[in-house]
Formats: sequence, structure tokens, C-alpha cells
Amino acid sequence: MTSIGTGYDLSVSTYSPDGRVFQVEYAQKAVDNSGTAIGLRVKGGVVLAVEKIKHSRLLVPHSNRRIMTAGKYIGVASAGWMSDTRHLVKRVRDEARSYNDVYKTKIPASIIAERLGMYVQAYTLYSSVRPFGVSTLLACMDRNGPQLYMVEPSGQYVGYRGCAVGKGKQVAKTEIEKLNFDNMSVREAVKEAARIIYTAHDDTKDKLFELELSWVCEESNGLHEHVPQDLYDEAVQYAERSLDEDEDEDNEMEDDEDL
Amino acid sequence: MSSLLSHEIGYSAPIEVHNHGFSPYVNNEGTSLGICGEDFVLVASDTRQSNGGYSINARRSPKAFELSNRTVIATTGCAADAKQLVEDMEQRAQYYVHKHGREMSTPAMAQVLSQLLYTRRFFPYYVFPIFAGLDAKGKGAVYNYDAIGNIECVSHYAYGSAAALLQPFLDNQINKAHQRGADTTAKPSRAQAVKLAIDAFTSATERDIYTGDWLEIFIVDSEGVHKLTRELKHD
Amino acid sequence: MDPIELRLPHTLQRPQATSNHEPITHSTEPIVTGTSVVAFKYKDGIMMAADCLGSYGRMAMFRNERRLMAVGKTTLLGMSGDISDYQHMQHTLENIMTQEYDMDDGQRLGTKSIYKCISKIMYNRRSKMNPLWNSYVIAGVDSGEKVLGYVDLIGTTYESPTIATGYGSHMAQPILRKVVEGREDEITEEEAVKIIEDCMRVLYYRDARAFNKLTRAKVTAQGVEITEPYSLETNWDFAESIVGYGA
Repeated sequence: MTSIGTGYDLSVSTYSPDGRVFQVEYAQKAVDNSGTAIGLRVKGGVVLAVEKIKHSRLLVPHSNRRIMTAGKYIGVASAGWMSDTRHLVKRVRDEARSYNDVYKTKIPASIIAERLGMYVQAYTLYSSVRPFGVSTLLACMDRNGPQLYMVEPSGQYVGYRGCAVGKGKQVAKTEIEKLNFDNMSVREAVKEAARIIYTAHDDTKDKLFELELSWVCEESNGLHEHVPQDLYDEAVQYAERSLDEDEDEDNEMEDDEDL
Repeated sequence: MSSLLSHEIGYSAPIEVHNHGFSPYVNNEGTSLGICGEDFVLVASDTRQSNGGYSINARRSPKAFELSNRTVIATTGCAADAKQLVEDMEQRAQYYVHKHGREMSTPAMAQVLSQLLYTRRFFPYYVFPIFAGLDAKGKGAVYNYDAIGNIECVSHYAYGSAAALLQPFLDNQINKAHQRGADTTAKPSRAQAVKLAIDAFTSATERDIYTGDWLEIFIVDSEGVHKLTRELKHD
Repeated sequence: MDPIELRLPHTLQRPQATSNHEPITHSTEPIVTGTSVVAFKYKDGIMMAADCLGSYGRMAMFRNERRLMAVGKTTLLGMSGDISDYQHMQHTLENIMTQEYDMDDGQRLGTKSIYKCISKIMYNRRSKMNPLWNSYVIAGVDSGEKVLGYVDLIGTTYESPTIATGYGSHMAQPILRKVVEGREDEITEEEAVKIIEDCMRVLYYRDARAFNKLTRAKVTAQGVEITEPYSLETNWDFAESIVGYGA
């Protein structure tokens, strides 16, 4: 680390001479250590997928969810510290609720992203606090159609067609960039999301993981929910088959080299 | 500041009472009684709930409840307050079990009930409870309260719309009031107590429009709480 | 020239308490109101009805009020009393249901839980001397059991096979007690519709705050179904035979 010993990384209220706030960058590191989370925004909806790394076989299936719901229709997927995530999800829920209390209208994606962004950003200003070790994906349908945002520890929030965070983000991003968002149904997007998580998963580092898949789309009546079980199974099958095919191709190539 | 001063000089501005139009209370009527025996207690209530006027809200809306394995409570007055009070009692009983690993004793619970009522001294629960249970020696104990927690341990008691009918009847039958030469120390047997309760209520339904429909009798003895139900007049 | 005096409902005219000698007052009367709700148990579940009138005092002001609603998928709620308080309650319930959905724990609020929840809200508000000026009828089929309960602005609760609020407690309840009581598990849906329409017709004839346009609903193990507003056939011939009060 370049800054060890310089003293510029001890507080978010101090910049380094080259204009960086190291604590925020360290928070980003916490995010990078987490299992991959991706979001895909296609024409009819948004899909969220998370590679939930399991530390133990003893964990109850589906426990410690990393995709949560706020105000029925906002999907929140995260990478980073789960305890921080829960805090932020509570914030998203409170904001969604207070907006609804005032306007009796569901909060638009851009507004919820802005409000969460402002909140997260406030934790990069004071020496008494530490920034959140979480990047949050927000998915919902509003009057402008499907929306996907990501809020980072710095408080920066950006809208995306597709995005990825966590350990496998490089691999995932490469895969996402190959997708044809305009001609893809939500159901296809679910399968691709599963495939990308499986591709990004590194079997040598983390043996156990659970795939979490959720969507917000017309089929779910605009609500955020886990994808139906049959679609989940189909997506997993598709993902596993794609991995096998890749492996076969690799083997073939190796064979060719042998020749 | 002005309020402080006016208080000290013993003068306060006349309180302007708006026509508020809202009374937080309603008397839902009905009758409850408690009878203490040597090794048992009995409480009984009818289940009719009235609206404070001539309407019957419900024929079967119980106002007597089992609180623990050895205590029961019978209420009259405002049903909404009674419900809140009984739920508070249940919660206090449950907390006590979690904290102490055993059930609260009957006298302790009687005191808790008094305290709960008194905490609302200036916005009282409009409830007149009869609380009954077995004490540490297995003897029966019946307590009655006023709405703000005044407590009394008695041999028998009646509260509610037919209280004025039942109380003298029980005084006569249980304390042998006005019976020359009768043994005034004898306590009723269990069978006698049940019979008295049923007779008292069937008679009350003849004269009191607010008492009727069903009678629920709770008997507490060393085995626990037993419940009997009898039909009363529905008119 | 004198400025035009705009007369507001009494509640809004009251001055706020200016010192601690004056009691702080809250709602003292309902403003826009809905009249009776009628409900009873029948074979498959519970039948309920309420008319579509929102009265402003004696004025028939709004003719398209919906006073029956579903809370979640399996609970039916009917309201009489102040309509703005009802809208506040609707909003509160919506927030509660959202909270439950977000919880994502596979649990669903049953009718009994929703009944308890509404009862607590009502009792808490009355204990603050700031009541929601409503009577609510809550109905549903909770784990195979028919539930039909009532709660009012004081927090009074009761469950009964037949319930009618407001004027209905005088005019519809006797009909229901006669026809329904003891037959809760026999009455078919067809008969139930006839009974409830008879009740609503009687109320329309005699309750000056009632209206012949109404919504009807049933709740069964399959869920809640609420009709669109429709009008009852009425026949005023009997009015000819009414004598007294100058008639």
C-alpha cells in the first residue's frame, strides 16, 4: 500500500496530497473481497444475482440473504459487509416509506438512488465515522421502465444497463458486455445472470456458494421477488451446462495443442 | 410561569371545557362473581357484551380468563380497557416466569393487578376486576378491586350490572347473613359453590337485561383450572 | 363591507390550547362519514356489504366511496364512520403490509393478526384522547377458521357470527340474528347474497344516511372478492301506507 506510514489514511476527514480519501478506497476493498453481485437491466425488467459464499455447510439454506426487498418493489443486492448492508437496506425502506407517506406514490429509482447516495456520502465526511463497506445495487420498475443503480462506498451512484461488483467483477463485466440487452427477455436475462455468476465463481478459492436470483418485472407485477423455483432450476441447469461446454472447449484446445 | 404563579396563589383560570363529544369509556355491562372455598376458588361471568344501551354487541364475548395455572380473573366495565388490562396481566405473569423460573404466587399477582390499575390513577381503566387463585398453602383467595386499584380479600364478591342482585344473595348463602344460629365460619363445598353460581346467574337473567346468553365458570383447585359453560337466557 | 365569513367544520374552528389550563382537543366529531357495514358468516366464509355514500353532515356529498377493502390476500375490512380517518388507517395498513412483504420470511399476516393490529391502533388512539372516528368490521378465513370481528373508536372488540355497525346494529342485526344465527355453516352463497341485499335495502329505506348504490364482498379460503358498485332495486309503494308526522 502506497500510503502506509503517511498518516493520510486514518480518517475520512483528511485528503492525501494527491487528492484521495484512503478510507473510502479501503471501504471499496471490503467490497472487492465479497462474493460477486450483478444486475442486468433488460427491456421488460431487472434481474439481480448474487454469489453468496457460504462459510460453512452447517448454514441453513437461504439464510443470510444478500438480496433484500424495500417497500415491496425495490430490489437491493449488495456486495460487502452484511451488517452494513442491513443498515443501508433499513435506510432504503425508511426512505421508500416516507416518500410514500408524503406522495402516496412509489419512490422513483433516481430518487431512491440519490437519497441512498447522499446518506452513504455523509459517512465520507466526518472523522467520527467510517464509510460503509458496501456497494449496493438497486433494482426497480418505475414510470420510466426498469431501472438499475449502483451506490458505492464513496456515495457515487450511477445508473446501469448491467453492472457487477465483488470478487468476480472483472470476469462478470466481460461477460455482461457481450450480452445483447435490447433483444433479451427477462427470463433469458435470469438465465444469463445465473451463468455469469457461475462463470465468475472461483472454485479453487471458495468451494461452497449459493446462487440468489431475484427480479422486478411485469411478470412479478412490478414487485421485487425471488424468481419462481422452476425458472431458478432452469437457470442453474443452463449455467452448469454452459460451464461444462466451456470446459470441453478448453480441453479440445489443449488437445489441439498436443497435436 | 403564569400557571406556576396561579397555582401558588391558589387561583387557576377556569378550565374552558369544549364540548368534546368524545368519551373514551363505554360500559359494556355484564356480571362477574367470585366465591372462595377452603381448597378451591370459583369465578363466573356471563358472556353477553352490550353497547351501553339496549343493543347486544355479542352473545359470546368472554370477560373471565385464566391467567396462570392457579389464578383466574373476571372483569366487568369497559371491555376495551378490560382486554388491555388482562393482556398486561398475562404479559407480567409471563415475564415473571422467564425471570424467576416459576409462576408468580397468587398474592403477588393480586398486588401486580392493583399496581397496574393504580398506574392509571388519573385516566383509570374503567374495569372492576375480581381476581382469584390458590395461595401458597393451597387455600382459596378471592380479591376484588375498584377501578383505581383499591384491593380487598374477601370470601365472595359480585361486580357488574347484576351485582346488586347477586351480592345479598351470596351474603345470605355463603356468610349465612340473617340466618339465626347458622355456622358462619363454614365455607361452601365445591358442589355448593357451583350450584350457587348457576342459581345466582339464572336468577339475575330474569331481572337484569344486561346479563345473559352464556355462563362461564372457572374453578381453581390443586389440579389447576377447570372451566364449565352453561347456557343462560338469550332474551 | 364585511369580509365573507367562511364557515369551517367545528373541529377546524377550535382554537388551539394556549395554556396548560385548557385541555388539548383532538377530533371531536366525524366530518365526512360512511354509514352502516353489514356482515355475517355463511357456509364458505363471510359476506359483507357497505353502501357508497360519503355524507357531509346531512348532505349526501360523495356518491362513490369504497368502504370495503382487502388487506393482503385473505382479509376483508369494512368501515363506517369518518372517511379521512379511514384513509389514514388504509395508509397505516399499507405500510404494515409492506413491512411484512419486505421481511421475506415466508410468513403471512392472517386475519386474526390484522384484527389485533387494528384493535391496538384504535385503542391506542382513544387512550391518547385522539380517536380514529370509525367502526371496523374485519373478516377472513384464518387457518380454516372463519373470523368475523368488530372494533370501534373506543377500542371495544367482539367477535360474532353476525355484525352490523351504526344504524345497521338497530335495523340489520335483528334480521341477521333471526336468519343467520345457528345456520352459519348452512347458508349458501346465493342465500347469503339475498340476505345481505335485504338488509341493505331495509337500511336504504329507513337510514337517511344510506344509499342504494353499494359494494358487496365475500371472503373465503380462496381469498377476497369485492364487487364493483351496483344499485339495488327498490320499491317505495309501501310509503303510501305510512301514517303520522304529517304524512
